[in-house]
Amino acid sequence: MKSRNYLALLLLAGAALTQTVSAQQYEAFHLAGLNLAERVCATCHGPNGKGNPIVGGPRLADIEPWYLRNQLIGFRSEFRGTQKDYIPGYEMQDSVARMSDAEIEEVVAYISSWSASPNAPTITGNTNRGSELYVSCAACHGIEGQGNEALAAPGLTEKDDWYLFRQLNLFKSGYRGSHPEDQWGQQMRASVGVLETSQDINDVLAYINTLGS
Amino acid sequence: MNKRVTRRELLTLLAATGTSATVLNASAALGMIPDTRLNLPEIPRADPANRPSVVILGAGISGLTAAYELDKAGYDCVVLEANSRAGGRCYTVRSGDVIDEVGNPQVCEFDDEPHMYFNAGPARIPSSHRNLMHYCKELGVELEIFINENKETYFQDDAMFGGKPVKNNILTTNARGFMAEIMAKSFTTAELDESFSEYEAEALMSAVRSFGDLNDDDLYTGSFRAGYKAGGFIDHGVQKEVVAFKELLKTRFLNMALSQNEGETGPVLFQPVGGMDMIVKGFERALPDKIYYDILVTSVQLNGDGVDVQYEHNGMKYAISADYCFNCIPTHLMTGIPNNFPSEYVQAMQYVKRGEAYKSAFQAKRRFWEDDDIYGGITWTNQPIRQIWYPPHGVHKAKGVILSAYDFGGGMHFTRLSQEERLETAIKQGEKVHPDYRQLTEKGITIAWHRMNHMLGCAARWSSSFGGMTEEEERMYHTLQAPAGGRHYTIGDQISMHTAWQESAILSAFWAINDMVERRGGTGRMPGQQVV
Ligand SMILES: Cc1cc2nc3c(=O)[nH]c(=O)nc-3n(C[C@H](O)[C@H](O)[C@H](O)COP(=O)(O)OP(=O)(O)OC[C@H]3O[C@@H](n4cnc5c(N)ncnc54)[C@H](O)[C@@H]3O)c2cc1C
Repeated sequence: MKSRNYLALLLLAGAALTQTVSAQQYEAFHLAGLNLAERVCATCHGPNGKGNPIVGGPRLADIEPWYLRNQLIGFRSEFRGTQKDYIPGYEMQDSVARMSDAEIEEVVAYISSWSASPNAPTITGNTNRGSELYVSCAACHGIEGQGNEALAAPGLTEKDDWYLFRQLNLFKSGYRGSHPEDQWGQQMRASVGVLETSQDINDVLAYINTLGS
Repeated sequence: MNKRVTRRELLTLLAATGTSATVLNASAALGMIPDTRLNLPEIPRADPANRPSVVILGAGISGLTAAYELDKAGYDCVVLEANSRAGGRCYTVRSGDVIDEVGNPQVCEFDDEPHMYFNAGPARIPSSHRNLMHYCKELGVELEIFINENKETYFQDDAMFGGKPVKNNILTTNARGFMAEIMAKSFTTAELDESFSEYEAEALMSAVRSFGDLNDDDLYTGSFRAGYKAGGFIDHGVQKEVVAFKELLKTRFLNMALSQNEGETGPVLFQPVGGMDMIVKGFERALPDKIYYDILVTSVQLNGDGVDVQYEHNGMKYAISADYCFNCIPTHLMTGIPNNFPSEYVQAMQYVKRGEAYKSAFQAKRRFWEDDDIYGGITWTNQPIRQIWYPPHGVHKAKGVILSAYDFGGGMHFTRLSQEERLETAIKQGEKVHPDYRQLTEKGITIAWHRMNHMLGCAARWSSSFGGMTEEEERMYHTLQAPAGGRHYTIGDQISMHTAWQESAILSAFWAINDMVERRGGTGRMPGQQVV
């Protein structure tokens, strides 16, 4: 029953100079059973990408593959997740830090096969005010929140609103969009200034929750 | 007549002489700690022609217990485990093992010898944990004594003695001496004379004197209990100087120092020979072909008279339907797995918080602590590493594995550091106790339970305050303890009021089994099932 490969264990232990192993080596330990996305991503994001707010893992089912790829590379490039006091981002950064391009492609391709129905809204706000605030978002994210790959703007419909709430706040505080090479993130950080208060954020998210349905 | 003093009488008596704190502490000493009698469930044997099926999610101690007992009673059991190993938090690390921390996988490079292991999760078995002790016996798990308090270990606090480590025997002997002197003085009051007969008062006073090793004038003037300054065997012994009591009050360790050998961490404690996971291996031996590893559970659905579970393995999708499901997947991870549980059940799952625990270890190039009369036990420090544990086993062998940090909760300090920072911090802080620590240690490993795959946390925390559970919390606890749809049991130490002990994980499995048996009418038959 045990799926450990003891030969691989011995070879690896002998070869490793430091105590940490690369993702490829890590994979080699789990010869049977699970691929990288199932092994690592599913613990926080759920086995089919349903998302799990309790551990801060947003829904990944139906995420645009190009956006997922951008973000994985962004985490690996330390555009996101370097602040150690925001644990979910920091964990995410650490999780992809050692991934190769090929592994990122493997994960993106696999996660594209995940499906799970959208989660119920958790945020309440004034949708009329929200629709006014949304006007400036629509330029990139689309009037219906459908997203625009050319502008690296993800779709906003059927995303977890608690996650969008956190991300807007991370952009506001500079935890996202501050890295000098993170062009799209910087643009978002500049744009998020129109949302001045938590009420603004709640209102615009309440409006976004009405889109696409 | 010789009337036995009841517990209540004694507490009332103490309350008359002391503060309520005296009463609280006394009540703990008088057996009000959890009752853990041997409590094996009685399961009617299943009809071999019609065996009820049980799918067990997670091969934690509770899942293994459920599988073992139900399998023995003739139930058709299967255990689905996400990891490549069984045991969950009951985890021992040895040469060549991969530590599956999300984002920071490590390989353990300790020498490959039976005594060179590290108990990354549980390390202590109190002798009073009767049900766990029972399984050790039943599964053939050899035990040896674990040493918690050792008078030769150190207390190190930057605020005390200029940060110099002080031996446990010096700290505790002097602390007890001064405390006994204070007690002796206060016990001469008339108030005391009223509460006790002359005989009782004398019994109490002699206990106080011996507690602190006071002299004939009820004063503390030092004691050989703190060790000899010189001589003592062939020559006259020379007593060590008395330390200034105020110096000892500069540390917050006095309470730890005087209580670490009490209650559940008091003697006698055991550890399995060769590592805590010998218990897991014992269960695995007893459950051949029943445990499946590297499983991704994708769905858990109640179906009215059973539970449907879907999972993936090796790129294949599987479905399994069972009459019952026993599930020890940590609640905060279960909330991410598609399910059709009632909303209040899910709310209870979402409510539970998790403690943060962190341990790290080094291989010691030689057992330097033994040169310092240390054989087992714990050194305490006020630095973030908190503790250094010396192995009670492998005495006088060439090398040993030393615990270099144990943060048992209340912070993510180490978890947030990189692997290199974690190890360097442990060395720097350990050097305050053992000056040659850097030269004597190598091959460090770290276990940040908040980042360990398929766990992401340590013990469940039901209560948001030290005041115990609120009514609302207790309501949620019982919601999650009761079977969802009458068929799905959440188990594990997460469904106990005494989390972070394997005994609780076992007893939660027993609770669920007993409840199931009762709901089946104690007949070993399905409810409503007709014999034709
Ligand atoms: C640092 C530390 C020190 C401790 N010290 C002691 C001690 O000295 N003495 C003592 O008795 N106890 C101690 N404990 C507590 C003890 O380890 C636990 O009480 C006990 O092991 C919990 O068992 P459990 O059955 O609740 O399962 P857990 O150990 O919580 O196991 C849960 C299982 O579910 C699996 N799982 C997770 N997700 C999935 C999924 N999606 N599908 C399938 N399976 C999944 C996990 O891999 C794991 O195997 C300590 C714990 C820690 C962390």
